[in-house]
Amino acid sequence: MFFRVMDKDRLPDLVRGLAAEYEVIGPIAKGDEFVFAIVSDPTELRLDYDTTILPPKKHFMPPTESLMSFRVQDSEVVGEELDRTPRVLFGLHPCDINGLMLMDNVFLQGYEDPYYKARRESTLIVGLNCMPHEGCFCKAWGTDEVHWGFDIFLSDLGDRYFVSVRSVEGADLLDRCVETRQITPEDTAEFQRVASEFQASFEGQPDTSQVPLLLDAKYDDPIWEELGSRCLSCGACSMVCPTCYCFDVRDRLEPDGQEGTRERVWDSCLYIDFAEVAHGHNFRASRAARVKNRYYHKQWGYLSKFERVLCVGCGRCASACKADINPRIVIEALQAGGGSL
Amino acid sequence: MNPTAVRRLAAYEQLSANPYRPWPARITSITELTDKETLFELRLIDDDVRDAFKFESGQFVEVSIFGVGEAPISISSAPSKQGFIELCVRNAGDVTGALHSRQCGDIVGLRGPFGRGFPFEEMKGNDVLLVAGGLGIAPLKSLINHIHDTRHEFGKVTILYGSRSPEEVLFARQFDMWRHRDDFDLHLTVDQPDETWDGDVGLVTNLFERVDVDPAKTFGAICGPPVMYKYVVAEMRAKGMEADRIYVSFERRMKCGFGKCGHCGVGHQYACIDGPVFNYWEAMNLQEAM
Ligand SMILES: Cc1cc2nc3c(=O)[nH]c(=O)nc-3n(C[C@H](O)[C@H](O)[C@H](O)COP(=O)(O)OP(=O)(O)OC[C@H]3O[C@@H](n4cnc5c(N)ncnc54)[C@H](O)[C@@H]3O)c2cc1C
Repeated sequence: MFFRVMDKDRLPDLVRGLAAEYEVIGPIAKGDEFVFAIVSDPTELRLDYDTTILPPKKHFMPPTESLMSFRVQDSEVVGEELDRTPRVLFGLHPCDINGLMLMDNVFLQGYEDPYYKARRESTLIVGLNCMPHEGCFCKAWGTDEVHWGFDIFLSDLGDRYFVSVRSVEGADLLDRCVETRQITPEDTAEFQRVASEFQASFEGQPDTSQVPLLLDAKYDDPIWEELGSRCLSCGACSMVCPTCYCFDVRDRLEPDGQEGTRERVWDSCLYIDFAEVAHGHNFRASRAARVKNRYYHKQWGYLSKFERVLCVGCGRCASACKADINPRIVIEALQAGGGSL
Repeated sequence: MNPTAVRRLAAYEQLSANPYRPWPARITSITELTDKETLFELRLIDDDVRDAFKFESGQFVEVSIFGVGEAPISISSAPSKQGFIELCVRNAGDVTGALHSRQCGDIVGLRGPFGRGFPFEEMKGNDVLLVAGGLGIAPLKSLINHIHDTRHEFGKVTILYGSRSPEEVLFARQFDMWRHRDDFDLHLTVDQPDETWDGDVGLVTNLFERVDVDPAKTFGAICGPPVMYKYVVAEMRAKGMEADRIYVSFERRMKCGFGKCGHCGVGHQYACIDGPVFNYWEAMNLQEAM
C-alpha cells in the first residue's frame, strides 16, 4: 500500500474524473437520512453522512435481479446477463467495506456466484473514514478498521485527505483524475492523531467475549422465547443488514406463457415459511426459533466456516427494528446469564 | 489433449460456470409407483454435459420446471447406471406437481449434482444396515442399487423399510422379488396393514429385534421423516454402533443447492453443501438436526 495526500478542494475533480468513466454511487441526503445513490453532481455528495438506510449490498445483489430468461417449451436458457457496468462506490465506511468482504466469502468461495462476481469485479471501492455515531458497535467485532477490500481510502484530516492506495486501478485513477502530493511526516502524524481520536470516541461497546460459545451453551435459554414474543417477523433487520445474503428464487412468466425470467429476491430467515418443507412441516415454526437462528447463524454458523462473525456493528438493524431487538441487546442478555431481558 | 477431452473439459467448465443454470434433460421413462410417487428416468440432452455429470449416492439434483420453479430431489439410481438418472418424486406441490403432469419425451431442466453423499468407498468391506421411512427410501435406493452392482465388495446388507400402508410401499415390485434373495436381508413393515399384507406390522424400529449387528464392521444409513431419526439412531446405538459409523440424510427447504440462499441451515451447517448426508457424530453436535 502507498499513500498520497489530496487537498479537500480537489474532491470535485476526483468525482468528476470518476464520473467520466464510471457510474458513481455515493451517500446523498434523502429527507433527514442518507442513501447510496447515483451521484450526478459532486456537490450532492454528503461525505459527512453517519449511516445510510440501506447498506451498499444492493449494488452487488439487488433486491430483485434476473438470473436468466428461459423458454418453457424445451427448458432452454435463452439469456443470461451479467451486470458489468463500471461503477464506483464512493465513501464507504469501514463497516460497510468489511461487510462486503464477508459477503465475498459466501459468493466467491466454493461455488462462485457469477452475478455477484461480475458486479464485484466491475466496481471500485473508495473508502472513507468516519467517527462513531450513536449505535455503532463495530469496534466490538474489530470491523472499525479496514486494511484491504478497497481501491483507495480517504481519511479526513480537516483541509486534506490522507489517501491509502490499495489497487493498481486505484493508483491509475488518482493519477488520471486529480492532483495529489507525497505524504510528509506531518501528514502521517495527523493521520495517526485522527485514528486515535476515532478509537477514543467509542462508547459502551458490548462485551463480545465467547459469544459463539454462549449461543450453544444457552441454546435453550428463556431469552429466546422472550425475544420471539417481541419479534414481528417483518424481516426489516435482514433487509438493512450489510451481511444478510439469503434469497428466494422465483419464476415470472410473460403473458404468453412461453417465456419468462427466473429472478432472485432478498429473503429473510425471520419469515414464517423460510424453513418450511412439503407436507407443512416447518423446521422453525416459532418466532423464537427464527430469531434464535438469525443470531446463531450470524455469530456462530458463519464463523464456523469463515472464522468471522457475520455482523459489522453498523447499527442499521437497531434503527430498523420496531421491537427493539438487535445484536447489542441479544449479546447483553447472553452475557447477563439470560433469564430475562 | 485430444479433441474429445478438450470438449469434455469445456463441458465440465460450462457445468460449473453458472451453477444456477439448469441443463435440458429428456424424460425417458415414467413409472407410477404409488398414488403420489412416480419414478422418472431422465437423460441430459447434451452429450458432453451428460458425460461430465458424475454423482455419488446420497447427492441430489435441482429439478427445474421453467415458469414454475425448482425442487431438490435425491438421485435414486446408482452411479453405476450411466447416462440416465432416476428420481423418485412425490407430488407435493407446484414443481413436483408440474413434473407429474409431464410425459415421456418431455424436457425439463436439471442442475447438480449437489451435496455430500454416503461414504461408499469407506463402506466397502463392511456390513451395511439401511433404514428408510416412507419417501426416505429415495436417496437410500441409490446406495442400495450401488451396493447391489458391486455386491461382492460388501459383507451383510440389511434393509429395514417402513411405510404407512401397503399402497405406499415404494419400489414394491422390486422389493417383492428381492424377498427371497439371500444376499439382501430385507424387512418391510407398515403401520396400517390390509388383508393382502404378509410383511411386518408396526414401526420400523420394531424390526431391530430381528437384526444381528456386528458393531465393529457395520455402517448405518438412515433416511426418513424428521421424527424418525432419533428413534432409529437410538436402536443402532443400542446395538453398539459408533456415532461416526451411522449416516443420516436430512431434508430441508432449499433454493440454490450450493450454499448461497441460506434456506437449508441446520444449526451451524447447510444441508446442501455440508450434507444432506451427515454422520451422527456431526449431527448430534448440530442444533436443530434431530
Ligand atoms: C436434499 C433433498 C432431497 C430431496 N429428495 C426428494 C426425493 O427424492 N423425492 C421427493 O419427492 N422429494 C424430495 N425432496 C423434497 C422436495 O424437494 C420437496 O417436496 C419439493 O421441493 C416441494 O416442491 P414443490 O414445488 O412441489 O412444492 P411447493 O408448491 O413449493 O410447496 C409444497 C410444500 O413444500 C415446501 N417446499 C417448497 N420448496 C421447497 C424446497 N425447495 N425444499 C423443501 N420443501 C420445499 C413448501 O414450503 C410447501 O410446504 C428432497 C428435498 C431435499 C432438500
